[in-house]
Amino acid sequence: MTKRMLTRRSAIASAAVLPLATPHIAGAQAKAVRIGMQATFSGPLAQSGITHRNAIEMEVERINAAGGLAGRPIEMIYRDSKSQPQEAARVARELVNTDGCELLLDAESSAGSFAVQEVARDLGVLCMHSSSETSSLTADPKYRAPMSFRSSRQGIHDAIVGGAYAAKVADANKLTKWATCSPDYAYGRDTTAQFMEYLQHFKPDIEIIAQAWPKLGSPDYTEVITKLIQAKPQAMYSALYGGDLTAFINQGNIYALFAAMKVFSVNLADYTALTAIKNLPKGIYTGNRYVVTCPDTPANHAWGDAYRKRYNEYPTNWSWESATGMMFYEGAAKKASSADPKKLAEALRGLKIDCPFGAGGTVTMRADDQTCVGYAIGWGTTVPQAPFVEGVKTADWGVIFEMEAEWKKKNGFN
Amino acid sequence: MGRILRDVAIAVAVVLLLALLPSVMPSKAFQDFVIRCSSMALFATSLNLLVGYTGLSSFGHGLFFGLGTYAFALLMQKTGMALPSAFVLTLIISTVTAIVVGAICIRLRLIYFAFVTLAMQMLVHSVIISWVGLTGGDQGLQGGIPRRVLFGISLESQYNLYVFAAVVLAVGLLLMRHIVNTSFGTSLRMIRDNETRAAFLGIVVWRVKLTVFVLSAIFASLGGIVMSLFVSGAYPELINWPITGDAIFAIVLGGVGSFLGPLAGTMILLLLNDVVTRQTEYYGLALGIIILAFALGLRRGLLDFITERLGGRPAGGIS
Amino acid sequence: MDLDALLDCVTTSSCLVTQSTSGLIVGMLLFMVAAGLTLIFGVLKIVNFAHGTFYMLGAYLAYTVFTATGSYTLGVLAAGAGMAVFGVVFERGLISRVYGANVLMQLLICYAVVLICDDLVKIIWGADFYAMGMPPAFQVPPLFIAGGVVPPFYLLLIVVALVIGGGLGLSLGVTKLGKIVRAAAHNPDMVSALGINTTLLYSLVFAMGGALAGFAGGLAAPVRSLTPGMGFSILIESFIVTVIGGMGSIGGALIAAVVLGLIRSFGTIGFPLFTEGLMYIAMIIILVSKPSGLFGKEIV
Repeated sequence: MTKRMLTRRSAIASAAVLPLATPHIAGAQAKAVRIGMQATFSGPLAQSGITHRNAIEMEVERINAAGGLAGRPIEMIYRDSKSQPQEAARVARELVNTDGCELLLDAESSAGSFAVQEVARDLGVLCMHSSSETSSLTADPKYRAPMSFRSSRQGIHDAIVGGAYAAKVADANKLTKWATCSPDYAYGRDTTAQFMEYLQHFKPDIEIIAQAWPKLGSPDYTEVITKLIQAKPQAMYSALYGGDLTAFINQGNIYALFAAMKVFSVNLADYTALTAIKNLPKGIYTGNRYVVTCPDTPANHAWGDAYRKRYNEYPTNWSWESATGMMFYEGAAKKASSADPKKLAEALRGLKIDCPFGAGGTVTMRADDQTCVGYAIGWGTTVPQAPFVEGVKTADWGVIFEMEAEWKKKNGFN
Repeated sequence: MGRILRDVAIAVAVVLLLALLPSVMPSKAFQDFVIRCSSMALFATSLNLLVGYTGLSSFGHGLFFGLGTYAFALLMQKTGMALPSAFVLTLIISTVTAIVVGAICIRLRLIYFAFVTLAMQMLVHSVIISWVGLTGGDQGLQGGIPRRVLFGISLESQYNLYVFAAVVLAVGLLLMRHIVNTSFGTSLRMIRDNETRAAFLGIVVWRVKLTVFVLSAIFASLGGIVMSLFVSGAYPELINWPITGDAIFAIVLGGVGSFLGPLAGTMILLLLNDVVTRQTEYYGLALGIIILAFALGLRRGLLDFITERLGGRPAGGIS
Repeated sequence: MDLDALLDCVTTSSCLVTQSTSGLIVGMLLFMVAAGLTLIFGVLKIVNFAHGTFYMLGAYLAYTVFTATGSYTLGVLAAGAGMAVFGVVFERGLISRVYGANVLMQLLICYAVVLICDDLVKIIWGADFYAMGMPPAFQVPPLFIAGGVVPPFYLLLIVVALVIGGGLGLSLGVTKLGKIVRAAAHNPDMVSALGINTTLLYSLVFAMGGALAGFAGGLAAPVRSLTPGMGFSILIESFIVTVIGGMGSIGGALIAAVVLGLIRSFGTIGFPLFTEGLMYIAMIIILVSKPSGLFGKEIV
């Protein structure tokens, strides 16, 4: 299900693009705030851009119906960067320089988001990253930019929660021998390393006996599955996601992999994967990407159901992250009574807003590293029918903050 | 001599025009366009030295473009070098790499040459992705390029980078033009048209091939340096196979038989990219159809088409 | 580098069996795709850079037919037949215009088709990934042979691939049509001078090559995630296989594919990080020492 992108009014016909549409002059209508959104809308990750946009459209409609940002209606402009960082950089500059966007909503994945970060830094434009989960984007002062914020989840938070939860399960079931199978790139390596680190922190007698690193997008997991079976671990962890995870589970099923060991899959609780897997094994431990039962609140259910009603499919992890980004802009505009980027940035630092995805009903944009905290992170086990994940336990942010602070100190991020 | 002066004069005039243009037309998108065009056109024209002028169909020329981006960005980030030194050292690194790679590859004929150059590029791409500690792996070099200052002029300003890119493009094109207009250039064409006859006429074929391979690698890296400054970093996508594909498209769209063909093709390709991606998510579909139209319909690039229409004869190229 | 683990594995029968079969499975699928590629090159001297698209479309066709009719056999047959037709259309419509042209032209046409088909798949089926799931007949527990784990579905795959590949090799060697095809690979002018309709012949070869890739796509569909662009990785690997095995040699493709599959499956244990780089190095070594590949013939 694809929607046409909003097209600009003025025709583009030559390289010498003449800039800027004219502002509205009609009567008392306020000038629209242009927000530039870029993501991947083509190729294997096309689903990320599409579901980001779906959520944004829902939020923009709601915000505009309530008056927009400080009385100014939002106008979204969408661009496809095709997962190419140099395109991401070009597109970001075009959105700001040519299309007159005052704010950016960057829904690029990690490589693209670093490229956009440099543009945001150079141009001094207010940017909300709503997809990158790489912690260093905000945690590392080297990469931080004063006008850049992040509304998406972070790898380090997920690792701490996952490690703590898995340690409890491991204790109860005496799972000491572990294996891992994650995609061979930055996200896969970092998340797996961090998860295992925290798992071993909470339960020191855990031993990693085998590690498999299939290439991202690899269609064939036969050799890693057989390698895992040979190694005979009691449990395994995987950071595979999306189509890769689906293929892995489908192929793993015919090797009876899931009967042989307990499986912890951090990215399984995502409706696209859950509904695509034909024979979802019962009892896989999974973290929440997005499920309506985490947090199990009326607000979250309502949001998820509204999305489903409108788009005929469930929201993804990407959806809630962009929705939160828009909610932050909305909250900042209310607090600052203005949509001026500098004032918005001021208002964002330390801002706490009501949010359906918050662990306690709210999320906060932490002031020192300008990233979102307080969102619901939980783990549960799979069942082969809706709601697909049961027994969800949400994490305690007190523990997360404590361990995160230690992690930052260890890496010299202060 | 007269031709050289004429070319230089044209180049200077164009650069001056570009430098003065923003005072009447302050479009930042145009400046971005020129910067990207400079980078890709240098790359495509350098590839055409191999493809159009020597008949060497390299499928892995992106290796040197990407090497230029990574070497330059790494030198600037990890060492305290000033920009001019990093610039020169990058070109030296590319030269050495090209000598090694070229020595291995040029012994092979036709399609095997194409495959081995492709394998070389993909091998380096694999290494870059795996060597996370040095290159940042698949996320690329993060954090930006520091101290972007050239002889006191800051290249962090878009206007300065724009003029710099225009100057670099002009100089690069002039040098490559000079190469093809000398007797060395003639020997390239002789090798392309009939290698055996060229050898019989006394040309040391392997040495000429290796030389042009190295020269074209240097100019490709030059394009890479410009790109690295534009994105303020380096990414594995800039050394992955599709970037060579882009250069090949540019050459074919613009005309393999004209010196400025690759430049024209680059402009067409970039324009297409910018225009089409604004309108639709199906950029691949549009690009594919247009390529087919050029390859099957026009059967030659734009500049070749125009040259023939005007009664001239393009300098040849692939059939 | 984990050479201890590798040594351990090779000396344990269960590990040896499991990893060998998994290497065979990977290799067999690769062989089917590469066989089509090498056949097309051997006879038509065309490097079919769009071969991955045949594989992708085959997989999608199998998925669609299976979901519509519930029959996996029908799905696979549809994949092969559909891609045979597509191969003929592709050859008649586009490839026939670039016979004898520079390899760059071939690349261009093929790459353009790849771009177009990837987007068409996205338009027709959508950008989401699809999973076909295992057909009910194969939802059985794996077999245990000498302690090693072998899923029945993969056994079937190996057998089918061998049958198809063996059948192809045999028919090329023994039947009259096969002899004509081999002759055309050797000397197309002579063949046409003998009054044989080379146009038909060329279309037939493309149909066969396409069908092979289509079958491979259909056979692999139950255990893959279908997405637009899934043809790319198998294309690169089948190129490596055809180069190493020898462009134009079906037997060479078989051997190279199996070797590559085994390197991958044992490589995952011994040196997990650099398997891909290794394959490129192998490709370079072969090209530099014996460009026509292990079993190929020199291009005149």
